[in-house]
Amino acid sequence: MSNSNNVLIIGAGIAGMQASLMLAKAGKKVVLVEKLPIIGGNTIKNEESFPNLECSTCMVAPVQQDVLQNDNIEVMTLSEVKAVNGQVGNFTVTINKKARYVSLTECIGCGACYEPCPVSLQNEWEENLGKKKAIYVPCDGSLPNVPAINSGHCLRLSGKKSCNACAEACMFGAINFSDKDEQVKIEVGAIIIATGFDLYGGKLLSAFGYGTLPNVYTSMEFERLYASNGPTSGELLLRKGKKLPDSVAIVHCIGRKELGYCSGVCCMYSFKYAHFIKDKLPEATVYNIYSDICVPNKSYQSFYNKIKDSNSTFIFQSAPDIVQIAGNNGKLQVKLTAGKGSKNSLNVDMVILSCALVPAKTSKELADILGIERDRKGFFQTRKGYIGTVQTSVDGIFTVGCAEGPKDIEDSVIQAESAVGEVFSLLG
Amino acid sequence: MSTKIGIYICECGPNIADNINIDEVIERISSSEDYKNKQLIIKPYKLLCSNEGKEYLEKEIKDNELTHLVIAACSPRDHEITFINICKKTKLNPYLYKMVNIREQCAWMIPDKKKATEKAISYIKAAINRVLHQSVLIEKQLDSNPNVLVIGGGITGMETALSLASKQRRVYLVEKNSILGGNAQSFKNLLPRQENNTDLVAKKITAIQENENIEVFTDSKLENAVGFFGNFEVTVKSTKKDQTANEFVVGAIVLATGFALMPTEKLKKHAYGKDDNVYTALEIEQMMKAKGKIVLKSGKEPKSVGLIHCVGREDRGYCSRICCNYMLKIISYLKDQSDTILIKDFYKDLCLPHKYDQEYFDTMAKKKVDFIRISDITTKKTHITYTEVNGSKKEADLDMIILAPAMVPAEGTEELAELLNVPLHPTKFFQEAHSQLNPIGTSLEGIYIAGGCHGPQGISESVLQAKAVQGKIVTQLIPGEKIIPEVKVSEIIPDFCMGCQTCREVCCYGAITFDPERGICVVNEAICRGCGNCVGSCPSGAIRAKHFTTIQIHQEMKEAIS
Repeated sequence: MSNSNNVLIIGAGIAGMQASLMLAKAGKKVVLVEKLPIIGGNTIKNEESFPNLECSTCMVAPVQQDVLQNDNIEVMTLSEVKAVNGQVGNFTVTINKKARYVSLTECIGCGACYEPCPVSLQNEWEENLGKKKAIYVPCDGSLPNVPAINSGHCLRLSGKKSCNACAEACMFGAINFSDKDEQVKIEVGAIIIATGFDLYGGKLLSAFGYGTLPNVYTSMEFERLYASNGPTSGELLLRKGKKLPDSVAIVHCIGRKELGYCSGVCCMYSFKYAHFIKDKLPEATVYNIYSDICVPNKSYQSFYNKIKDSNSTFIFQSAPDIVQIAGNNGKLQVKLTAGKGSKNSLNVDMVILSCALVPAKTSKELADILGIERDRKGFFQTRKGYIGTVQTSVDGIFTVGCAEGPKDIEDSVIQAESAVGEVFSLLG
Repeated sequence: MSTKIGIYICECGPNIADNINIDEVIERISSSEDYKNKQLIIKPYKLLCSNEGKEYLEKEIKDNELTHLVIAACSPRDHEITFINICKKTKLNPYLYKMVNIREQCAWMIPDKKKATEKAISYIKAAINRVLHQSVLIEKQLDSNPNVLVIGGGITGMETALSLASKQRRVYLVEKNSILGGNAQSFKNLLPRQENNTDLVAKKITAIQENENIEVFTDSKLENAVGFFGNFEVTVKSTKKDQTANEFVVGAIVLATGFALMPTEKLKKHAYGKDDNVYTALEIEQMMKAKGKIVLKSGKEPKSVGLIHCVGREDRGYCSRICCNYMLKIISYLKDQSDTILIKDFYKDLCLPHKYDQEYFDTMAKKKVDFIRISDITTKKTHITYTEVNGSKKEADLDMIILAPAMVPAEGTEELAELLNVPLHPTKFFQEAHSQLNPIGTSLEGIYIAGGCHGPQGISESVLQAKAVQGKIVTQLIPGEKIIPEVKVSEIIPDFCMGCQTCREVCCYGAITFDPERGICVVNEAICRGCGNCVGSCPSGAIRAKHFTTIQIHQEMKEAIS
């Protein structure tokens, strides 16, 4: 097979990066395609990761650096796979590489270009909790530490005005307004899909007051609110009132019933939030409103016990979607279905909705491009009739991490490592 | 060759130049009394990481015949490797080079240019002091043996062996029992998401037997293992009498020793052992496989069955992950057997972490099963007293009770951990090297863990872990390739060592051994990773961490904090 030494990995989150590094170490040439201008995936949005509460940046940044500095890995940011032809051993892949307008080789990441840019935009990477300029990196510590220009909003690139502010500020001549989108064709022997997850944001969220009650947050919003490199530098300032919360209700299992699956990670990240809140605001009251405690790892129960015993009130509800949330004199009223020992309602300053993990938005299109099957939940389907495989319905195409189904970092990395094993079994 | 230090200061465009007076830095360092007997070359450059900058640096090192190099620029995170590569290209030993961060730590941090300049000077002088005391270190290359020892002949071990064995790589598979197959051979059916694989175990056993690159040792155990990644000398011995030991060399060891159910004496409070009709889930699986149906001790089919989840979860301190699922499987056995059977399923939490688990539960919930969420339960024979989650106390008399006891590490796990010096997790399963970045590796390079001995998990997860081990080994232990061990390791100075062995206790990698003849400890440099634990622990100061010696640190610090 002529291209058996080349592997395409789609998605530069923790699973995609780990698989890239392993393959590269063994001499494979890896093309790592990422749709965002930065690599790192969802893991770098966490300030700390459960269960050891390790600083995520400290954990992942060396991995990101290794990926960027590895001669056997070609990282293509702002890129998406548009077409795949051929078969195992000989895939021809067409990749759309969007213009960055900033040279990855000339820019040294000093950040002098942000300030002069006159355009202010919502930063969607920060869950719209912060702003960014038209020339931006999503957050401090982004890697590669090179900004990109949003061509739709940049005054010059969108043709609104002949602005040259960033180019004037750049001392390295790194801004290139004439950069063009390109289409790249590569040949690979195997493909690993590691496109991760999105957070559940269906219509159910509005039923919990999300969108109308400003102090109702999704879990990812809270993750960024707590992050020291996030929009508030880690201060838990409420959207409305700009004050710190005295009481917080964390509602588990959001989306579980509607989607028909448990995401397996929400209990743990909810406990982590309880810990975060108590760590920053020791006087605050924290409620965990749950229906099942799902702690499927040898290290998880002890984390749960610690939270339960020390800092959080646990309130059982037979199903989370019976919880109702309403505004009440500047507070949020969480109405519960009473059982013995639980109150009828709680008045809190903040509600965090622990949302399910759902397939990344790009999943359907990517499945069509690759000609592979998805399961009834929309995640990529591993080969039927095979146990413990990461092979998809097409030979030579593998799926790992949350692209295959909701899971934690540990299980995502195990799948990534096992895909590397399967790639070697297939291509040698 | 006389010492000649090159110090190159990167302006980083205006990033460093604007806030640090580079002329002053050069003037102050070159005129310093401290270096009057030293040959210094100190120069600025506009951007050292640019291609022109790298070429310039290469030429400078060669033309000036530099022996030591100091680069004052950005964070080592950004360009440490860039300059190490230049060292390698110009044959300047990279351990005689030091990078100083005068951008993030000086120019960008301190608004006052004068202060920033002062700090940069002291940092650069600290680096010069340090680099003068650094020593040449040379990477070693060791031959490696590509063969693999797999301990445990269950699904995980068999999968690992099959995925690794090839003409270039022999696999030795050691099983303590007389047959391969492990726990999975007890199961009549697998979970629905695992589909029709009832002959999974048999197929794997056949594949193992047919594979000429796999050598199986049944009724055997690992007797001894010494060495390190790429070179473990192992002894495998039969547990039967009068058998000779087999000794061979492998490059990697995979622990796939599986799980057991928690000891039965711990199940007494659920009447296990006191009533014949109280069973563990595994016994029900075995009964299904042997008899094709679930029957009472009397031989009759039960009319009512109680299933109790989470037995031992609190005691053991963890959830066993798969019990909720296999209890649903047992419900399906029972319902297939009798549509009218009364089933009461007592649980505290439902743990359904796989994307299809909830659907499986929903299907079973439609089959007239009483799923009862409890806060407490006691069993007296087959009479059950339980407290529902809303506080109401109830009772039930049932024909049969099936328990889901916690999964625990298989017998012998602790001995194996001790033999190999592999740490155990607080739950007594093996401890992984890093739960997120290296979940199937251990703190010992070349020793991996997979399957039930890693933690409670199902067959799918175990097979995935087996393949992850394959991924690790095929990319780290490549037939014919040399292994390059860590260079910055510890060394014990024999004259100072008192032989107290404190260092052995703090070494996480098992790199230190005691030499009884000389009465001192010795570091195996192929195993040591240079963490420095032993250096700090040595009461007589006999241990030195290469590249982090006391004198190097002292020389650097005295300038940096002066």
